[in-house]
Amino acid sequence: MRRPGGYACSAEPDGRRQECDTFTCAHCNRITHVGPGQRPEDIGGLCKVCMGLICPACVGQVCVPFLKKLDWMEARARFRREI
Amino acid sequence: MAKYAITGALAAVSGSYKTVLDVFATSGALRRGKVFDVLIGTNGTPADNYLQWDISRMTADGTGTAVTPNPLDPADVAALATAKNNYSAEPTITANSSLFNVGVNQRASYRWVAAPGSELLFPATAGNGLALRTLSGGYTGSATGGFMYEEQ
Repeated sequence: MRRPGGYACSAEPDGRRQECDTFTCAHCNRITHVGPGQRPEDIGGLCKVCMGLICPACVGQVCVPFLKKLDWMEARARFRREI
Repeated sequence: MAKYAITGALAAVSGSYKTVLDVFATSGALRRGKVFDVLIGTNGTPADNYLQWDISRMTADGTGTAVTPNPLDPADVAALATAKNNYSAEPTITANSSLFNVGVNQRASYRWVAAPGSELLFPATAGNGLALRTLSGGYTGSATGGFMYEEQ
C-alpha cells in the first residue's frame, strides 16, 4: 500500500518470511494488516472527515480521532483527581 | 521525547490470556507513551502449537515483576512509565480494547514496526497502558515479548 502506517514480518518455521504492510486506525488505534491485493473496502476505509485510514469496526461510525479520545481520557483523570 | 526498550517473558503460557509484558503511566509524573515496535516469540522446547497474541488497554496494575526500561539513547533520562512482565495476578484489562491480535506458530517469531505517527498510544493517566498477552491451547512453556516505546 502507499504510505503504510507500519510493517509486520513473521519468520515462519519452514524458513519462509511473511511480510505485510499495516495501518493504525485513526479512530480506535487498532492495527490492521493489509495483505497483498486486498480490496480497500475489505480492510476498512478512509474517513473523509479526518482523512485517516480506519479499521472495519470504525466504518460508518462518527469521526472522533483517537488523539481527541486520548485528550478526553486524560482530562477525565485530571478531573477525578481534583474532586 | 526519549525512546526506551523493554523486554519480558511469561514463564508458563496457558489456555487463558496471561500478560507477558506491559507498560503503563504511573502516578506522579505522567507522560503519554507511544509503542512503535513489538517483537514476540517463544523460548521453550520447539513444537507445532499456536499462540494467540493480543495487545489490549489496561487501566490498573496487577502483580508482576518490574522491568527497567532501557533508554535507546544512553544520554536520555530514566523512563517515567512503569513496565512489568511475568504477571501472576493480571492487570485490569479494558474489555473489547484489543489493538492487535494475531495467531503465531510457536516456532515462529513476529515483529511489528510502526511508521512515525502510527504508533499505539496510551494516555498520561495513572495505571493506563498497554498489555501484551498470550494464550495457547497446547503450549505451556515460556513466551517472550519486547516493546520499544517513546515517552512524549
